[in-house]
Amino acid sequence: MSGADTDGARAFLDRAADRMVDATAIERIAIGFASTALALALGSVIVAATGYDAVEFVTSLVDGAVGSESNIAFTLRQSSMLILAGVAVAIAFRAGVFNIGVQGQFVVGGFATSLTILYFAPHLPEGTTGGVLLMALGAIAAMLAGGAYAALPGLMKAYADANEVITTIMLNFIASGVVYFLIDEYLRPAGTSAPNTERFPEYVELPRVVFDSPSFSVVGLGVALAAVVLVAVFMSRTRLGYDLVTSGHQQSAAAYSGVDPGRTVVTTMVLSGMVAGLAGAVFAVMILGYYSDPSTFPTFGFDAIAVSLLAANSPVGVVPAGLLFGGLDAGGQYIGFTTDVPSELVDGVVGLIVLFVAAPELFRMAGKRAWLGGDRE
Amino acid sequence: MSDGETPVGDGGEAETDETPAGDGGEAETDETPADGDASRDSVDLTAADGDVPPAVRLEGITKRFGDVVANDGVDFTLEPGTVHAIVGENGAGKTTLMSVLYGLYRPDEGRIVVDGEPRTFDSPRDASDAGIGMIHQHFQLVDTMTVLQNVVLGYEPTDSGLVDADRAREEIAEVCATYGFDVDEYLDTRIEELGIGVQQRVEIVKSLYRGADTLVLDEPTAVLTPQEVDDLFDVMVELTESGRSLVFITHKLEEAMAVADEITVLRDGEAVGTVDGDATSREELARMMVGREVLFDTVERTTSPGAEILSVEDLHVRDDRGLLAVRGVDCTVREGEILGIAGVEGNGQAELVEALTGLRSVEEGTVTFAGRDVTDRSRRERIQAGIAYVPEDRQAEGLVQDYDLVRNALLGNQTVEPFVRGRFVNWGAVRDHAESIVDEYDVQPGNADAEASSLSGGNQQKFVVGREFEHDPDLLVASHPTRGVDIGAIEFIHERLREMRDDGVGVVLVSSKLDEIQQLSDRIAVVYEGEFVDVVDPAAVTDHDLGLLMTGDSPDGPVAAAEPAADGGGGA
Repeated sequence: MSGADTDGARAFLDRAADRMVDATAIERIAIGFASTALALALGSVIVAATGYDAVEFVTSLVDGAVGSESNIAFTLRQSSMLILAGVAVAIAFRAGVFNIGVQGQFVVGGFATSLTILYFAPHLPEGTTGGVLLMALGAIAAMLAGGAYAALPGLMKAYADANEVITTIMLNFIASGVVYFLIDEYLRPAGTSAPNTERFPEYVELPRVVFDSPSFSVVGLGVALAAVVLVAVFMSRTRLGYDLVTSGHQQSAAAYSGVDPGRTVVTTMVLSGMVAGLAGAVFAVMILGYYSDPSTFPTFGFDAIAVSLLAANSPVGVVPAGLLFGGLDAGGQYIGFTTDVPSELVDGVVGLIVLFVAAPELFRMAGKRAWLGGDRE
Repeated sequence: MSDGETPVGDGGEAETDETPAGDGGEAETDETPADGDASRDSVDLTAADGDVPPAVRLEGITKRFGDVVANDGVDFTLEPGTVHAIVGENGAGKTTLMSVLYGLYRPDEGRIVVDGEPRTFDSPRDASDAGIGMIHQHFQLVDTMTVLQNVVLGYEPTDSGLVDADRAREEIAEVCATYGFDVDEYLDTRIEELGIGVQQRVEIVKSLYRGADTLVLDEPTAVLTPQEVDDLFDVMVELTESGRSLVFITHKLEEAMAVADEITVLRDGEAVGTVDGDATSREELARMMVGREVLFDTVERTTSPGAEILSVEDLHVRDDRGLLAVRGVDCTVREGEILGIAGVEGNGQAELVEALTGLRSVEEGTVTFAGRDVTDRSRRERIQAGIAYVPEDRQAEGLVQDYDLVRNALLGNQTVEPFVRGRFVNWGAVRDHAESIVDEYDVQPGNADAEASSLSGGNQQKFVVGREFEHDPDLLVASHPTRGVDIGAIEFIHERLREMRDDGVGVVLVSSKLDEIQQLSDRIAVVYEGEFVDVVDPAAVTDHDLGLLMTGDSPDGPVAAAEPAADGGGGA
């Protein structure tokens, strides 16, 4: 309460916040690495304190993320998915629409891809040409389906005042349940018991190019990065992007400038859902090669919320955030195989890293909001 | 710090207090301070000889923000027991200077001397401990807490660790009794239930309770009604009579002249001079503020209006609560004509304006623009058709606060060439546009990369006005275009409005300033409870008659035998 100590600390904090607000992109990335190292140091103390081998823990984590070619491939695979889904989240959040339904749109998109590929495969030539055609059709179908599925909560919000957080969460369950039902009831090949569709033809496959991994292709990462670039350009250089982002910043000013709020919500959801659907397509083609019970899928659509928030909802920022989360995911899973450290502890340390990386960014945002840094009259 | 004991008094600081009796300063300060208790312990005997140190002395204060020099070697002396007004245009550095005094900013150069003693402030807490209190334009009160809780917040008298509410109550009652405040009547009322005027007095009581001898009032009248302004002035007199010293920041010259003993004028961060409040004139102050002569008179027009550009028939509009706010308005505006809309705020002006600009749907009636029925046209379609709009609320509507000015220059221009080409934004053209607005409308700081939220209110307004004026509209709807803007800018905006009128733009002007309406309008429509009670000729109506019309009465001899209203409108 009283005393010069708190005031001195306040002045120090003020200056620190000033410094943070004005940090450059490179400084921020450096801060991110330093935070990760610090969190790892603290995490290994905790690991050691609970009686496990801290050195082994840290080396396993790093090893799992970047230790070998196949581990890097796995990291990049997870990162590709998280980047794509993260961009989907970022579009919506930037426009002030809280699309928590990326997972559902992702599930529906992947399902549309699978149906398209399985339906058209007999009608198209086999081999590379057919494969490329099928994948292209599948991707288009995924984007249409994801966009359409996301349009539902958009319409409900715009014209019936239904809170999109609630509707998108509910639609996640519906997507998962309905897709499971359809697969189990109609698409399961006779004589099998697992709720899986038939496998896609083997020529429906992304070329591996660099890494020799059955579930990762740099083309998948390329799709994710292309989506990042397209969305970033869309947001910063197009009229519609300006309309969406302005709505997210300040609804009343957007309306003043002639933006139709209802239509903007629907557009935002459709775009977000399209990217989420594309993520589903990549998942189905690159990782699975068939389609399955969505409740067994990784929760990329939910993890992407954390990715997007860490990136301050910037589509470009989603790339480093996605790589970090992908690496932690890969490393965390690897620890499970190589050490006896309980998975709860692994998750705890991973959470610590995310917290440490996010804290300076949050500090920055808070500082910015408090109008620190820069010029002020 | 160690002032937990008697918050009403001066705290533990050994200040060289001005003696209450016989200090021989310019203004009479010889009432006993009546602190309630006799805690003014450290009476400096030399003071009794008339050699009282100033309550506050700022010497050569310089404060820079990056390249911008907000204060440039400013000297300022506040004599004890007086009101010292600081006037200046928006961005002249008034608030920065006071923020330095209040410990919010640390000056790059210069010295702060309080009661003869040099000081450095690291935080507002230090300033507060030195007896300086600040009443911000936006009150620093917790809405959901009671008046009592707000006043003692952070300085609670305690009894074995618990807040001693009874003692707090007594002490606040004492403060109130001393200055004749009514705040103690509301001690258990929550702030959100109180009017703005009362909230402001709570702020003042809060500062006094904390032992403030010097109060800085930052544009205190901006939020008040005329009646509340009078009350505030009474309070200020009361405070100085009991020995407190006041700094009064304002850009309203009449107010400064009405209450201040001395007036210091700031321009571009420099103190251009200090004058005696009684001996100066509006013209002199305005010249000092702006740096040249300022005209206050109505300018005769030499052009005449053309064809009808806007026509409104039997317009009915509902407000946010679903009540009819506009009930059957008919009017027309011609090219090259300014239609002023006068009225007490809240009589449907806001809803009428929103219906004209396409932001609010119409219940009944039609809006015809340039011969086309636009009643059901969207806001964007109306922008494209050539309707520009200076919104009443620049903070929420006119600007995106966390965009820089370049991005804000696109707001409302998203469909206008050359700022967009096809679906893409041409940021180069937008930036040029933003820079030309900043230049031409003298937006400070003169940097298009500044975030909107970092600009003072008046500069924000200038930017919005500039953007909308430069739309090349056929119809301009301007809602309070000079609100919060300083004299130089008002003059400029008025001149631009006249130019646009002469160029054939139809203008709908809503303003709460009667003198503005009278100076600019070709016709004045008086609105009362959502209806136009009369449309009058500005040259042939008096303030008095307008006032009557605005309150729903009709003057006996309407619009008759009236001399053109003198400028100034605002006086007592």
